Amino acid sequence: MTPIKLIMADEWRFWKRTRLAVSVIFMGIALTLVAAIVNTVEMQHATHEREHLQHTSESRFLEQPDRHPHRMVHYGHYVFRTPAPLSIIEPGVDDYSGSSIFLEGHKQNTPMFAEQGQASGMTHFSNLTPSFLLQVIVPLFIILVGYASITREKEAGTLNIMLTQGVSLWSLMLGKLFALAGSGLLMLVPLVIAVIWAASNGEALLTSLSFVFGYLVYILIWSGIVIAASAMHKRSSASFTTLVGLWIVLCILTPRIASTGASAIAPTPGKLETDFIVTKELEKLGNGHNVSDPAFDQLKQELFSKYNVDKIEDLPFNFRGTAVQIFEEKLTTVLNEFAEQRMAEELNQALIARQFGWLSPTTAMRSLSMVIAGSSIETHHRFLREAETLRYDFVQSLNKIQTDDMTYEDDMKGYDDPASRVESSNWELLSTFSFKPDSASTRVARSLPYAAQLLFWLLLVGLSMRLALRRVS
Amino acid sequence: MSYLAHIKRETRFLFKQRYVLAILSIVFSLSVFAVWSGILESQAQSKTIERLIEKDAQERAHILTKKSDYGSAGYYSFHLTYSEPSSAAFAAIGQRDIHPWKHRIRLLALEGQIYETDAANPELSFVGRFDFAFLASVLLPLFVILLLHDMRAAERSSGRYDLLISTAGTWKHLWLARALVLTSALMLALILPLLAGALWSQTPIKLTASMALVVIGHLVFWSLMVLWYTASSFAQKQTSAQIASVLLSAWLAVTVLVPVASDMAINHMIDSPNGGDIVLTQREAVNDAWDLPAKETWDVFLTDYPQWRELATKPPEKGFNWKWYYAFQHVGDLKTHELSQGFRDAKIAKDTLAGRFALLSPPMFTQRLIASIAQTDTQAAVAYEQSVRDYHQTMRHFYYPRLFGEAEFDQQEMAKLPEFSHL
Repeated sequence: MTPIKLIMADEWRFWKRTRLAVSVIFMGIALTLVAAIVNTVEMQHATHEREHLQHTSESRFLEQPDRHPHRMVHYGHYVFRTPAPLSIIEPGVDDYSGSSIFLEGHKQNTPMFAEQGQASGMTHFSNLTPSFLLQVIVPLFIILVGYASITREKEAGTLNIMLTQGVSLWSLMLGKLFALAGSGLLMLVPLVIAVIWAASNGEALLTSLSFVFGYLVYILIWSGIVIAASAMHKRSSASFTTLVGLWIVLCILTPRIASTGASAIAPTPGKLETDFIVTKELEKLGNGHNVSDPAFDQLKQELFSKYNVDKIEDLPFNFRGTAVQIFEEKLTTVLNEFAEQRMAEELNQALIARQFGWLSPTTAMRSLSMVIAGSSIETHHRFLREAETLRYDFVQSLNKIQTDDMTYEDDMKGYDDPASRVESSNWELLSTFSFKPDSASTRVARSLPYAAQLLFWLLLVGLSMRLALRRVS
Repeated sequence: MSYLAHIKRETRFLFKQRYVLAILSIVFSLSVFAVWSGILESQAQSKTIERLIEKDAQERAHILTKKSDYGSAGYYSFHLTYSEPSSAAFAAIGQRDIHPWKHRIRLLALEGQIYETDAANPELSFVGRFDFAFLASVLLPLFVILLLHDMRAAERSSGRYDLLISTAGTWKHLWLARALVLTSALMLALILPLLAGALWSQTPIKLTASMALVVIGHLVFWSLMVLWYTASSFAQKQTSAQIASVLLSAWLAVTVLVPVASDMAINHMIDSPNGGDIVLTQREAVNDAWDLPAKETWDVFLTDYPQWRELATKPPEKGFNWKWYYAFQHVGDLKTHELSQGFRDAKIAKDTLAGRFALLSPPMFTQRLIASIAQTDTQAAVAYEQSVRDYHQTMRHFYYPRLFGEAEFDQQEMAKLPEFSHL
């Protein structure tokens, strides 16, 4: 056996003798396992429930009786976002963002019913998700297991004996490192099983592998931090306090300071405030429900000369439908402009917070994890955009029916006149909505900056191990 | 040796230790950061509300100039409702990150509007904010553990233990004096920025004092717990790192495991109607009304408002009119009432239960107490929602006589519309 392997085996033997390390590792495995199971069950439940609601909402739309198409524009539709397969490990913003939107004509609504709004409020700090445990708690466990790895040998005087016997310091440190990382990997096993489960439920191989790889690197980083600190200190107690201090700063403080900092650096005005500007902009478009609105004068003149008529009754199509169609198009352009602006601001905030990944591997890991799992703000925005596309499509299809399939005269007869109705078979225009997270390659490409942050930390840890090496010898 | 002399000596000793000073200055700077960013956030929220009030009034005035009947005035004009951060809100963002604190509503069915939120950035809410409540509830125990866990063990391992005891008279005085000095220093580092923040925000003394008391209570709890454990017979055989590991596990249990398990238990114990069901039900109710004979709407509406019987049923049978329109909006709310009430009841029941479970977790208990003093807890969010509902009703009651009485539209009258007020 090589010295590295010998030292590894020796470390494992030592842990077996001291019950603390074994019980910590065991607790870590048990916790992540429970978390993985609970989350898988919960996410499956959420998926089924949302698929069911989506189905209900679609069939209700289709079941509507014959009526004026514009009534269906206001009847509206609901879309629900189903969670991504990897949400069983990293639910990300899902609980905070709201997962359903009501879609209707002339309006872009906000998502509703964020889970946290209906939660007990107990989980604002911690969550029983595998991601929280692996990102925050497992590093603490690694510290508990490994803080004395090298200080122990110093305190017992065995370090010098080993060195005089010709064991190189590097192999000593690497042996200890691999032993410690091995204990971390044990706690990673439930995650790997959950990822395999996710992969069998449609998650791509590329994302699944990058996800696991990210966590592997993260565990290696923390093991490295622990070994380096242990090598730098003379006494176990000092190494322990340093490590717990580091853990508090890197795992608990920095991520929160990041989000507080981001909202202080780049405050967003929020939807209500921009709504005032939107209303002003929309006012210029006129009222789409009123064909005598001056906003349509120019259009009317153009159509009159094109079709060689002099009143809207004589146009070969229903002008009221044309008016709402044009109105919806212009309105949507304005609304989208502001929606995109708001999303850009939100994303910018999130990106600022993620820059703190250079200051804490936990933040880097969290960003990587959310982005790859497809539970980050980017995916949420994608949901908003897809919902909007669906909204625009069904509203405009209904408006087109009003234009092409109805005469202006019938349309004018009022909402309760049978002549102003169209057959309910028309409602089949609604396309089914099924939300899929971004493609695997997009998500992985998006995660590269955070992978770079993690690699930076790996490098930093490697360097501090070298530094520690010099201080030992 | 007098007790005071012990304390004096320990204080001198304390300020010579780099490690202790480092921890204390970290706590102090964190507290400053938490209070400062909390004040910033509170001010930003107040300013946002100020701007919204102004723009809201402008927009409504502008819209009303173009309206000529109460029906469309009610349809097109929005009304701002809001919940001002309290003067103590800087200490705890609490539920304001999750529950809305600003909302615009109009005369239509409320159930179709009230679940719309102008929410905070979900990714930032997910990571969680750093506020004073977080520092005092989650982090404080960690600092207590770091400072107090090795008082004995360190002296023992450096061989000074016996010497110290023999020179310090009764040993209890020594540890207690040292613990007292460390705990008080920690308390000052934590509370001074809070007091400065309270002074700056003009927080009433009563609120500031109760918040400080909560923090001190939490601090004393953990100090006693650490002292008790380090004095126990288990700890005698352990190294300082082992002692700290045990204490950290205790922290982990009450800060992570208890809340997570409670949350699961609470979700199991309380059944809540699905939010999606509420909005689907209310949409059906409102939309079906267009196709139903008007009488069906009136029958339901008039059970709630019999006083409009004479005036309501007068309008023509055919065609659209605002009275009937607002009547079926209200009927839509009535049909959803039970679900929506159930939804709110569940929220309150969960919060009440969470309050009880929090007794098992000092950090959660502390956090809840601080949020409740700062009025940023779930109860405050529920109260705000209720005030929006109340205001909606006031609005309807302002419009109904004018709509049903078919009063001539008068801009002057609109100035009489009651304004929103909360608390």
